Amino acid sequence: MNRIRVLRAMAQWTAVFLKEATDAWRDRRTLRMVLLLSVVQGPLVLLLVSTLASEKENRIDKREIYIQGMQHAPGLQNFIERQAYAIKVPPVDALDKLAAGQLEDAVIVVPSDFEQQLQTLQMPSIEIFANSSSRGSSTARDVARKLLQAYVQERVALTLALRGVAVASLKPLDVQEHDMANANARSAQLTGTLIPLYVLIAVLTGAMGAAMDSTAGERERSSLEPLMMNPVSPWALALGKWAAVAALTALIALLTSLSFIPAQLLIRSDALQALFRFDLADAVHFGLICLPFAGAVSALLMATSVRGKSIKEAQAGNSLVLLVFMILPLVSLLNDAAEPDWYYLVPSLAQQTLMLHVLRAEPIALWQWLLPCAIGLVLTVVGLAYVGRAMRSNAVR
Amino acid sequence: MILIDHVAKRFAAPVAGLGWQRKGWRIARAPQTWVQAVSDISVHAPNGQITGLLGANGAGKTSTLRMLAGLLVPDSGRLEVDGISVTQERNKAQSRMGILADARGLYPRLTARENMVYFGRLQGMSNLAALARAEQLADLLDLRPLLDRATDGFSQGERVKTALARALVHDPDNIILDEPTNGLDVLATRALRETLQFLCSPEGGSKCIVFSTHIMQEVERLCDQVVVVARGRNVASGTVAQLLAQTGQTEFEDAFVQLAFAADAEVPA
Repeated sequence: MNRIRVLRAMAQWTAVFLKEATDAWRDRRTLRMVLLLSVVQGPLVLLLVSTLASEKENRIDKREIYIQGMQHAPGLQNFIERQAYAIKVPPVDALDKLAAGQLEDAVIVVPSDFEQQLQTLQMPSIEIFANSSSRGSSTARDVARKLLQAYVQERVALTLALRGVAVASLKPLDVQEHDMANANARSAQLTGTLIPLYVLIAVLTGAMGAAMDSTAGERERSSLEPLMMNPVSPWALALGKWAAVAALTALIALLTSLSFIPAQLLIRSDALQALFRFDLADAVHFGLICLPFAGAVSALLMATSVRGKSIKEAQAGNSLVLLVFMILPLVSLLNDAAEPDWYYLVPSLAQQTLMLHVLRAEPIALWQWLLPCAIGLVLTVVGLAYVGRAMRSNAVR
Repeated sequence: MILIDHVAKRFAAPVAGLGWQRKGWRIARAPQTWVQAVSDISVHAPNGQITGLLGANGAGKTSTLRMLAGLLVPDSGRLEVDGISVTQERNKAQSRMGILADARGLYPRLTARENMVYFGRLQGMSNLAALARAEQLADLLDLRPLLDRATDGFSQGERVKTALARALVHDPDNIILDEPTNGLDVLATRALRETLQFLCSPEGGSKCIVFSTHIMQEVERLCDQVVVVARGRNVASGTVAQLLAQTGQTEFEDAFVQLAFAADAEVPA
């Protein structure tokens, strides 16, 4: 008897799944948009990040510097030209433009008595004007500062050398920096926050439409009432609907992850291109990490939608779920130290942390993957139990 | 055979505003008010007969049929389908009923055939059996040209026919129809009437048919027996001829108005 009941529930589950999958497949406009976004999002993020990085590279490679009053400092001019920098005269209203953010650069201002004060060791002042709210201006300021510091060092070294002081006494220490981060980890500084976050956003937004259509959509179309007049098991109904939503969400997660492979061709920064390596194995890892999350998110979004009498009502509840899951990964931004173990207990934060491990080519312990899977499973079961019960009690509008 | 025995149902009325009210200097939750949708309705519908549930808007017809369909749990009373209690063995009872709900609720992106097969599968039919039954119903209800069209662009009549076919896909012994002729033109109404008459005949399977309506003509032409309800209660029952004799009227509409409004005057608000 129990076997017959189980077989019947499985047949119903299959029927619900096939119907929901067909329904989602026929909603071509929505499906096209969701899948297009999932494929396009990755390349767009990388293009954005690499454009920012390449702008910085170009600024450094340009080797141009604005100096006002260069004629008052022939020694400095000689030094800067020896460093292969082109000296440019700033516009007349350069400082106003800087303040208004219209000049993406920095300006060195040399006073008229600079050389005279320098010769008589009166410690002349030299000013650098920049706008810290502008990324380009900040980069140019750093370049100007480094040039001036190098000039000061050279002056001091020459002066002391003329007086017979060993140059080594000026530099008693030879500081050598070693960056222990591997190439992947260095590239992950730029891409590590954005890429996992965009994969998570793709999963969340992709699941939302399908979750709402299969629950609140039934009520909006008035099809839930006739549906619940059938002897259908609440679990078969909830599982069938969930399987269709979760399958679509998992597909979106996989497509988004795969889209980063061809997206590497769009990277405009040479440094980033040399560092960022994302291959098929990484995409599969991303997919495996996102799979339990896709399931849990589908169930939770269905649970928040099921009481909505319309898609509009369901959207209000879902916005909250989306907001929470999008904010949680940002917790890791506030923490520079190694991530604590509790990160793996928090959905979306756990997935972001694991994806970061993949991008940094760091090993993932089995428990680090299993724990978020278990949390996802619990959330899925709780969500589906609620959906199954609520569908019957909400059948009548 | 369908038995509805002294059922009652009340609903919590939606609270206006935010659900809070001022009581002197303090704000308190507004008290819950209730709407008695069904006070005491009884219907006994035997096989091979069409039983009409006749009442004005808000008389409690749809709530009664929703209780019968297992969507609402009655506050009191008994509901049975072929001797099976709807409240205790809902799934078993549901598999013996084919219900055309007031909300037709077709899936717009599925074809008429797919709508039928989906409900057939939920009723426990195999895919092949559901497909074969869809073909039969297409002939019975003149649905063949619509079978493979998405229901999105269907006319009202086409929707009703498809929803009826979907309700009949598992060949139930009991058919419940809530306002089936709403929005149908003369020809579609006539076709539906003929279908129902066939279904309750011995050739059509001697089905037990219960349908709710507020249209007198349908009742006169179709029903073997009529249960008149007003304000959630039975006010009269019998054949059309018996009800005419009971009220001393020659027009059934006059008889209904007399029965329903006399009940209104008697029942305290």
